[in-house]
Amino acid sequence: MKKRYLYMLLMPGLLFLTLFMIFPLAATVGSTLFQNGQFTFSHYTQFLTDAYFLEILGTTLLVSFMTTIICVAIGFPVAYYISKLPPRGKSILLALAIFPLLTSSVVRSFSWMIVLGKNGLINNALMGIGLIQEPLSILYTPTAMIIGLVHLFLPLILITLVGVMENINHDLVEAAQSLGASRFSAFRKIVVPLSIPGLIIGSILVFVGSLTAYTTPALLGGKQRVISTFLYQNAITLNDWNAASAIATMMMIITFVVIAIMNKAAAKFNPKG
Amino acid sequence: MALLQLDNISVAYDQQYILKDFNLSLEKGQLLSLLGPSGCGKTTTLRLIAGFLDAKDGSFRFEGKDYTRTPINKRNFGLVFQSYALFPHLSVYENVAFGLRIRKVKDDEIRKRVMKMLEIVSLHGFEDRFPGALSGGQKQRVAIARALVIEPDLLLFDEPLSNLDANLRVNMRVEIRRIQQELGITTVYVSHDQEECFSISDKVAVMNKGVIEQLDHPSVIFKYPKTEFVGRFIGFNNFITFTERQADGDAVLLTVNGLPFRAKKVPGMSAGMKGAIRPDDLLAGTENEISEGPNVLDGTVKVSTYLGRSYQYIVETALGEFTVNKEMLSPFENGQRIRLLVPPEKLVLVD
Repeated sequence: MKKRYLYMLLMPGLLFLTLFMIFPLAATVGSTLFQNGQFTFSHYTQFLTDAYFLEILGTTLLVSFMTTIICVAIGFPVAYYISKLPPRGKSILLALAIFPLLTSSVVRSFSWMIVLGKNGLINNALMGIGLIQEPLSILYTPTAMIIGLVHLFLPLILITLVGVMENINHDLVEAAQSLGASRFSAFRKIVVPLSIPGLIIGSILVFVGSLTAYTTPALLGGKQRVISTFLYQNAITLNDWNAASAIATMMMIITFVVIAIMNKAAAKFNPKG
Repeated sequence: MALLQLDNISVAYDQQYILKDFNLSLEKGQLLSLLGPSGCGKTTTLRLIAGFLDAKDGSFRFEGKDYTRTPINKRNFGLVFQSYALFPHLSVYENVAFGLRIRKVKDDEIRKRVMKMLEIVSLHGFEDRFPGALSGGQKQRVAIARALVIEPDLLLFDEPLSNLDANLRVNMRVEIRRIQQELGITTVYVSHDQEECFSISDKVAVMNKGVIEQLDHPSVIFKYPKTEFVGRFIGFNNFITFTERQADGDAVLLTVNGLPFRAKKVPGMSAGMKGAIRPDDLLAGTENEISEGPNVLDGTVKVSTYLGRSYQYIVETALGEFTVNKEMLSPFENGQRIRLLVPPEKLVLVD
């Protein structure tokens, strides 16, 4: 086949993306910049000066950052452990890690409600052993959202990290040790920097996922709004599509900014990654 | 006293012994090669010395101190890997500096030592490159510099040249020997390539199934293998199993199937009943060129191949097949009757 005909293979996908993604996105962003036919930033200034919106934005970013950090903190050692296992053990543990992804997030959120609620498992247990007198309010707080989101996104970071870590030649760790590095410093100076590419991709997936997640924050957050639930409220309940579009555009911008920052950081830690 | 001493070391995986009651000692400043086919335990021995493996039994002494349980990072041994194992995220300079940074050496001291070491391995000017931008030979030089810069008490090579092409291999082994002698550093070198081992070593240990079959100066092993395994491994392709053996002055008289053979007696000669001879040492000729007598075999040419410098023949005789190399202008033909002469001074008796 001639080379130029090969481009034809791209056409169906390209057409689909243009029609159902690029156009709607452009329309969404475009609609936020005009009011009564006049070019204006008023939709944005209106939000960015609104204390209620800023609080929601702050909560969303906090929840997303905490989720990402906790996922990395839990995922990194687990991924390293899995990556060192023989193939059989590796596939069993990876399958177990991915298992939560196979259940609906609605079902999962409801089970967390049972666990975290006022009469839930945790409160009953803590009161039972006398550690607390009054039940803690965990459900319907940002903490509950973070717990639910960590549960949801941990597999993503595990998969990306295991993929990168199993490609690190074990000779490198042995070489570092032979040069005087302890196990820990060999891990810190060799395994960690070489895992940065996987860490960045995993973190971006978790962060963006948390930023845009709807079901989990809606069910576990109660009255506590995040951007995605706020967007839904504006669009469906208040029927204010212009406001909803502006919120959506801001979400996109935040996502791009965060990805850019993370890539910068990656380049610094691992210049040849 | 020996610098390095392995006493009755045993190493086992899944109940299966790789080394059993293994002994080895090494003098300061020497280069010892462990030579053998894959699976003979040579890499296991090296990894045990390096500290990556724990001995099930036995002890490892170094400079008179017990090193059996000393962790890898406290041994101060330099290691050069077959895969080079350069840190891909660090520049050449930082790769070499790695061990010094761990030892918290001051920056200007690091600079001095790294630059000097890069000079020694002829990589001056490469310090800012990354491993991905180096050729195989350059990578190996960086690996050597990185292992040497920490001034190790012992240098360990694990098949360092097997990923390089043939010409480079020869250059690099000369280089390795030069650096080793220049710095006077005690070295253990693992390889399956006999030419490589023989060319650079003070001593060679030929290993088989977790046991050292022979440990000696390369020239002694080359001429006088002690066992059939060593003989075969270093190119003695022809073996004769004798039925009788008796001493006769400075010779040994041997018989098989009523055919008499003589072999020259050498000190430390094996008491075995097997004779070994290299294809290059065996003489071949027509019935006119070689007359009947002791040490002579009649045979028929079965296969002939051209080796460039000489022809190689597989010759069928009453004692089985023999391989012989002969330089000649016009080769023997297949099926031609020829005679083989086994020179008594080239016939080596092995276990």
